[in-house]
Amino acid sequence: MAASSAKAASSSDNIPDYEYVDVNTKVFHIDSFRSEWLSRLKPEDFSHKQEDDDVFDARFAKEMGADAETMAKLKAICSLDSLCCHPEDQRSDAETVPPNSTLKTLIQRKKKQDLKRPQKVSKNRHDLYADELESLALSRKPNDAVDVVPEGEVILTINVYYPAVYDKFNHNRPHMTLLMLGSHNLTQLRDAICCVSDLQVCGEFSNTPDMAPDFISKDHFKSAFFFFEGVFYIDMRFPECQDISMTTIEWAKTHNFPTYSQAKMEDTRFVDLKVKVGFPYLYCHQGDCEHLVIITDVRLAHANDCLDKKLYPLLTHKHRVSTQKCAVCHVFIGRWLTTKDQFAPSDPCLFCNKCFQMLHYDTEGNKLGDFLAYPYVDPGAFN
Amino acid sequence: MSKLVRERRDSEPVRKALKSDFEMLLSRFKQTESVRFETFSNIWREMNFGHIFYGITVMHKKRKFSRLVLDMAYSFFLPPFSFHIRVGGLYLLYSLYRCQTALPIERIRLALKDWDDVKKFEKDAVNAKHLDVVYVFQKLMFLKAFHFTAMPIQLHFNRKRNVEKSLLCEEFIERPSRPQELINIELLEELSNIQEIYEKLKSSVPSLSGQMDSSVNLIHKDLVPKLRSTVVDFYKWQKMQDAEYRDEDEDEDEDSGEGTSSQQECSRRASIIASIKSRAYGQVAETSKARRHRQVELDLNTTAGPSIKTGYIRISKPSLKARTSQKILISGNTGKGTPTLINRLTSLDPTSDPEAKSKGLKEV
Repeated sequence: MAASSAKAASSSDNIPDYEYVDVNTKVFHIDSFRSEWLSRLKPEDFSHKQEDDDVFDARFAKEMGADAETMAKLKAICSLDSLCCHPEDQRSDAETVPPNSTLKTLIQRKKKQDLKRPQKVSKNRHDLYADELESLALSRKPNDAVDVVPEGEVILTINVYYPAVYDKFNHNRPHMTLLMLGSHNLTQLRDAICCVSDLQVCGEFSNTPDMAPDFISKDHFKSAFFFFEGVFYIDMRFPECQDISMTTIEWAKTHNFPTYSQAKMEDTRFVDLKVKVGFPYLYCHQGDCEHLVIITDVRLAHANDCLDKKLYPLLTHKHRVSTQKCAVCHVFIGRWLTTKDQFAPSDPCLFCNKCFQMLHYDTEGNKLGDFLAYPYVDPGAFN
Repeated sequence: MSKLVRERRDSEPVRKALKSDFEMLLSRFKQTESVRFETFSNIWREMNFGHIFYGITVMHKKRKFSRLVLDMAYSFFLPPFSFHIRVGGLYLLYSLYRCQTALPIERIRLALKDWDDVKKFEKDAVNAKHLDVVYVFQKLMFLKAFHFTAMPIQLHFNRKRNVEKSLLCEEFIERPSRPQELINIELLEELSNIQEIYEKLKSSVPSLSGQMDSSVNLIHKDLVPKLRSTVVDFYKWQKMQDAEYRDEDEDEDEDSGEGTSSQQECSRRASIIASIKSRAYGQVAETSKARRHRQVELDLNTTAGPSIKTGYIRISKPSLKARTSQKILISGNTGKGTPTLINRLTSLDPTSDPEAKSKGLKEV
């Protein structure tokens, strides 16, 4: 498939370059890209092991034919101390902008901080936890040697954007960022994407509120596809999966569009893909819930990355949405939406599970009064 | 204001300031005409460059800043910059990488397409026995400071509305040396031989036919010396340009309050273009009589040179909120001397002056 056609192409085709500067690259094959890098690097360059200082010095001296004296001098000159701006005794405070600096960056930073100071900014929860997800997994080593990410593996950074349902999308692009390994299947990406439309429950459940969780859309409508570079990758893992891309392909055929092809999501690994980095692609599930997918980065694994295979797909960024709270307690996130409800202050009205049960049912669980109840999944449920 | 726009607005001045700081450091490094790391670290210490990471308190902002700093320094490590500047760029990367305060530390993103340039650079350094350059580079490799990536930055399909062309610092760019390389002594000798033979051949033609034809005389008489002097001229001009830049830099140092204003840049570019043009038109070769009517005329007007405008000027409009509040303030002042609150305008307020109110409403 993609791999065989890539072999035919010359090697320079797989060195990614800009199609539009700072926007996206030309198409390249990820596995060939990986082998291009590996052919250029020495094994120790991408090894996860850190070599010894002495080994490095000895090798350098041998390669360059430097004697011990030159090496000692070289090490002293290039040491970190030579960059230190202060004598040992007076360490300055790294938290504040140094006064009287001539650096334009610092002058600018000072100016900005002086401007900001009057209005007291309360610490934002989102700022506090911005890097939390990533730092949790950083340089984690697995307990079991089988789960180690192999040296020279590629790591892809993938942004999955939420459906563009509101106008602000042009300026503000809420998304989640996932790190995937080249050996992952596309299905693993699909399973890692959390979207509220997968959790939606269709129907009215005022008579049987306990039954609601059994009707999650995810379990009913399992079809989905990714669209990368003219190929629909469809999910066919389950017997109830349908090929929902066929309609588009046939429509394209009759309307003089370039022909699109199909492949199976579960049989495709990321290294098999031919893609443009930075170019928007599509993930579609639940029939019409469409997400943009952008591969923002492809690189070789680094010793400091999370090296536990089991932690991938690794979520590194998650957009936080403000949640709708229960109309009664104002504490918990709304789980039920009722209409034509004689107990509710508004129509429709949101309730958390507990308040909903207490208000609308007696102790035996019998329905009180007349109302329609729909399970509600808050977009902020994944925060 | 939306997140993307805000981020872009915030990062733009930082970028500009950083760029000018880097250029300042590197131009000082270039002036020393030494590629020793010692020289670089002296300038680094003198400028207190390590302070650049100071004053950021929030960790994720530290990481963002480290990322920005490394990305920007990376560009000085690549062509089209001259070897000297690239050495400076490498030292800069090394120093910034070692001094960064972010945790986890940010790595330098090395793109596959740039790898061959980097390797060639290393080879040049090895051949020239610049031990410190090679040492610093290999140390970075040893420290695993690089991420081996597809592209030098992460790409988000971000189209930019107002693309501001980032001007490469012309002073740092390697001078083209192809003309000098192409026209060397051997070539000149070869050329003069051929010219001699050609001239002989030409002069033998009219003697055969027995009549003088002026069109056959179409040869450059002293082609070889002319060619040589032109190349030498070009080389001298390059030198002069370099010297000019240096002088201008010194001037700029005196009024350090302002950076290189675009006006100066424009006039400098214009003068370069003008001088190229005057050179080109100044040496109009004398044409033969048969072609006199086609003779190229010396265009004196071009010496003035058009001033080229670089970049766009962004017309910044205050936000709707700012404009509204400004207008309401004015209408309030005319009425009572106190600013009218926006919520007052919508509710019936018997105490306020009806005239002022209607005025205010109209304004809104």
